[in-house]
Amino acid sequence: MPPSRSADRGSPVAVTGAGVVSPIGNTLADFDAALFAGRSAVRARALDLPGIDLPPVPVASADFDTAAEVAPSRVPLDRATAMALAAARDAARAASLADGAYDPERLGIFWGSGMAGAATFEATCRTVYADRRRMRPTSVVTTMPNAPVAEIALLFGARGAALAYACACASSAVAIGEAMRAIRAGWIDVAIAGGSEALLMPGVLASWQAMRVLVPLGASASDAAAVAACCRPFAAERNGFALGEAAAAFVLESRAHAAARGARVEASLAGYATNCDGVHITQPDASGQARAMTAALADAGLAPSDIGYLNAHGTATTAGDAAEAESIARVFGAGGVPVSSSKAIHGHLLGAGGAVELLAALRALQAASLPPTANTVAADPGFALDLVLGEARASEGLRAVMSSSFAFGGTNAVLIATA
Amino acid sequence: MTRPTFAAISSVLADQFKVDAEKLEPGSTLEQLGLDSLALMEFVFAVEDRFDVRLPEDRLDPRQAGITLEHLASLIDEAVAAKPGSDAAVA
Repeated sequence: MPPSRSADRGSPVAVTGAGVVSPIGNTLADFDAALFAGRSAVRARALDLPGIDLPPVPVASADFDTAAEVAPSRVPLDRATAMALAAARDAARAASLADGAYDPERLGIFWGSGMAGAATFEATCRTVYADRRRMRPTSVVTTMPNAPVAEIALLFGARGAALAYACACASSAVAIGEAMRAIRAGWIDVAIAGGSEALLMPGVLASWQAMRVLVPLGASASDAAAVAACCRPFAAERNGFALGEAAAAFVLESRAHAAARGARVEASLAGYATNCDGVHITQPDASGQARAMTAALADAGLAPSDIGYLNAHGTATTAGDAAEAESIARVFGAGGVPVSSSKAIHGHLLGAGGAVELLAALRALQAASLPPTANTVAADPGFALDLVLGEARASEGLRAVMSSSFAFGGTNAVLIATA
Repeated sequence: MTRPTFAAISSVLADQFKVDAEKLEPGSTLEQLGLDSLALMEFVFAVEDRFDVRLPEDRLDPRQAGITLEHLASLIDEAVAAKPGSDAAVA
């Protein structure tokens, strides 16, 4: 059946480069190796909170040296901003987006982060309240939520736009989607878009633990293999996620701009939609999610059957996966699309999740191979899902992939990429 | 200005602010080192912490980028000497 073309369809935007810093690798080759093998980076971490006795939590940290990154502004860098700079630079290099390859007034930076700067803010508070030392003069510019977008804009001399998006776990998916809209509308020609999050600080981890969404490690905390396998998306025995840290960046540009400068087009962003559940601060809503997926399909001019892989939000929480399994079945039909969640291996990356998971979907598209949902042996029997389990699944002729992000606060964002 | 003070200031500039070591002469002004007003404030802050002193704002406004490293080192030496219990030989 040929893809149905919708009147709402927008033009595709070229993806010409990607960069990543993540728990499963800081190069695309390392990222792929872990993604397709389902190799988990989740480890146990003790909470360094003097006087407060809390059990260790599962985290997925990136092998990244914040101090090695120098800020274009020369102010101290928050870890999320340092990661953002590294990912953006790698994306630009991959896209051959050097000086002179773009008009700075037509370059925009679109960046998502749930709590950019929060790690430095927590450290700063420790300095003041525990160590009785002064606030640094650069505390404001290091911890402001738009610090990553501002530093990236300085690095590239971007003059078209520098916009930061904070909508929890949908932040970077929204940033990428809004960059796509800006290019389609002709406001800019090129965007560096993505997101970063680095919140593996004791206070932040304890907050998530208190919310009871992190996998309780219990006696298995000292068993590295058990901890690595603790997050089991869409399994009946799922009981939460690990928090991770990452940055991922993409160079997006109009097809005309990419063609004019002879850039190699890796893939196309074909569809985007965002909406809001509008019903609850944390509880997911299957109907809101389904509306977002349907709207993204319409934007791409594709039918559900055109999508060959869905990188799900898949947080492995009891309520989250149940709502998502329902919304996927509503849009695609029972078992209508191969699904996996890569959160099992890189953790919940919060504001960076949408960007890293779009990258996972793009890597699947380019490899014609679907990454497995690691750790999960069988899907919850209550779910009508075609869950990719065990090993990566070959998918010859894969043409279109979807990545979905559903946030606390009700924001849903769905991206569709095509070959 | 004492040599150890100048050396300590220089190491802060080289390590934390990535200033080229060749530029670090007693006569160099902070402006010549390429630090903007924000970086200057952060630098003075770091130097104060290093020596555990406070440089009075009426003696050193970090927004005035024209002062030399030699002048800054002398101010630190004075502040160190003025500290209670100081034997004036700290550096």
